[in-house]
Amino acid sequence: MGKRAVICGISGQDGAYLAASLLQKGYTVFGTSRDAQVSAFSGLHELHIAGDVHLESMALTDFRSVLQVLVKCEPDEVYNLAGQSSVGLSFQQPVETLESFATGTLNLLEAIRFRGQPVRLYNAGSSECFGDVLHTDADETTAFRPRSPYAVAKSAAHWEVANYREAYNLFACSGILFNHESPLRRERFVTRKIVAAAVRIAKGSGERLKLGELSIQRDWGWAPEYVEAMWKMLQLDKPEDFVIATGQTNSLESFVASAFECVGLHWRDHVDSTAALMRPSEIRMSRANPAKAFTLLNWRAKNKMRDVVELMVAAEQARTPS
Amino acid sequence: MKRALITGITGQDGSYLSELLLGKGYEVHGIVRRASTFNTERLQALYRDPHDPAARLFLHYGDVGDGTGLRRILEKVRPEEVYNLAAQSHVRVSFDQPEYTADAVATGALRLLEALRDYSSLSGRSVRVYQAGSSEMFGAAPPPQDESTPFHPRSPYAVSKVAAHWYGINYRESYGMFISNGILFNHESPRRGETFVTRKVTRAVARIKVGLQQKLYLGNLEAKRDWGFAGDYVEAMWRMLQADKADDFVVATGESYSVRDLVNVAFAHVGLDPKGYVDVDPRYFRPAEVDHLHGNASKARKMLDWTPKVGFRELTAMMVDHDLEVAKQEKTLREAGHNPIGRGATE
Repeated sequence: MGKRAVICGISGQDGAYLAASLLQKGYTVFGTSRDAQVSAFSGLHELHIAGDVHLESMALTDFRSVLQVLVKCEPDEVYNLAGQSSVGLSFQQPVETLESFATGTLNLLEAIRFRGQPVRLYNAGSSECFGDVLHTDADETTAFRPRSPYAVAKSAAHWEVANYREAYNLFACSGILFNHESPLRRERFVTRKIVAAAVRIAKGSGERLKLGELSIQRDWGWAPEYVEAMWKMLQLDKPEDFVIATGQTNSLESFVASAFECVGLHWRDHVDSTAALMRPSEIRMSRANPAKAFTLLNWRAKNKMRDVVELMVAAEQARTPS
Repeated sequence: MKRALITGITGQDGSYLSELLLGKGYEVHGIVRRASTFNTERLQALYRDPHDPAARLFLHYGDVGDGTGLRRILEKVRPEEVYNLAAQSHVRVSFDQPEYTADAVATGALRLLEALRDYSSLSGRSVRVYQAGSSEMFGAAPPPQDESTPFHPRSPYAVSKVAAHWYGINYRESYGMFISNGILFNHESPRRGETFVTRKVTRAVARIKVGLQQKLYLGNLEAKRDWGFAGDYVEAMWRMLQADKADDFVVATGESYSVRDLVNVAFAHVGLDPKGYVDVDPRYFRPAEVDHLHGNASKARKMLDWTPKVGFRELTAMMVDHDLEVAKQEKTLREAGHNPIGRGATE
């Protein structure tokens, strides 16, 4: 009898890749979205798995909804990838962001505790919780110092998971994932925005790419690899939190430069930095130490920033007709 | 005349803070949730009818669960200082009401900050904000704890306080708002809620002494806390908002005692031996415990020139003496043939 998994947030990037991976491993996969009949699930369609995933409507902020889905699907594993995932938007929708992560995660934890079944829960943590990482690379023991309403909400959810694990012995853990990209990223996210613009400009669109702060530094990885780490975390004997990252940090400027190089252009000729896109509070430097994941999960990122850029550019070019 | 707005004004800290600010000549406004019975007992001594021209304490119906109401109150009151003390404040209860606790403590703080952010930017007035943090945020982090100790919250209450703490910092950094977090260690008084362990013990000691109660049931006797007097601690809150810049401060006595110590000191104060009166009931254990809180308040001492005046023994004695008086009043009524009427009861 194959294992059953529920993925909350199936309409996002990670949801699609995780679903594809679990289907390949022989799981029965249920995916939830707030309204399964209205969402487009473009990610599932792009990966050609839309017909293989059982779609359920679930509102994470409504306990009854969460409970009913768990009772109906009877999962062995639940992956909570749902929530308002834009850091920038969280400054304008701080309460919605908090409720989607903190209340949402709490409802999952409470529903699992309430049913008393042995369900393993993976929670999507975020490197945003660390804030600026100034002195040494962030690992699982580094203190949080969140700098956006998104990061505060993710921190609350992270601590809820830890508290329920400690208080009730639930198998619940958080993956503290650093930025992870792919062709499924929506254009509101800067990596996809850059790649899409570079490809359009190379085809002669004549547009100028407007970006915010270019000096910010991030650890960018390849999303399809990161969802493997999520699955591995739920196969361990005991639940633990892990940093998942490449361990390599680059500036946004170098990401931009790489993207334009891939299409044979010089980025400075096509990019404007504008104050209107700067955030009220920003993380300047984000850097990671993923050694624990290598040691205990046997997981390591094969694709670093440069590879991510090349893969995304290639996919973007394949998408658009010449 | 400065105007202050206090959420959670009906609580212990709300009443001591109101007293302090009224004494300094402030006009004090408080937000009170509507209930069908009076819930402002702690403010009775301070309250004057609003028709009285000398009244400087005004209460408004509101709830940190209602953001629209908060906005309306800010526009009406136009405070220079806001003290956010509102919460579901009981750690043990938060395990059974995690969602409500998160809504009141975390989302409540966020709603208030959002309302303040807009009020400031629309009115052009800057408001100084005090956010009530808690030593419970340190949780399992080893003692002694100071402002740089990483958080390790051990209850839904503590997780929510951590979120509120970080919203305070985020809004300070993002919008330049003057927001200070007070990381207060346990602080008690005769006005403490009766279900908090200190007051639970001192009430029990007093009632046992006059013969109104036989037993005291407690949970984990080995838990250690840094207990101070709430009257001293609200002084620290006020000082944080008078400082040149917004910052975060631990407020604590620097001494730590166990619940067992508390029991021994309280019983000794009335000349009783706790043996035979105290039993352990597992219902009071927490699913995840905080073993040892012990604060280092040197930053507040140095930068706010704040010192706690009342120590552990004096605090315990103060509370037992108060509860003894309350118990004697009840005993007197009963011995005179009355059946003391509870608040709101019909019998």
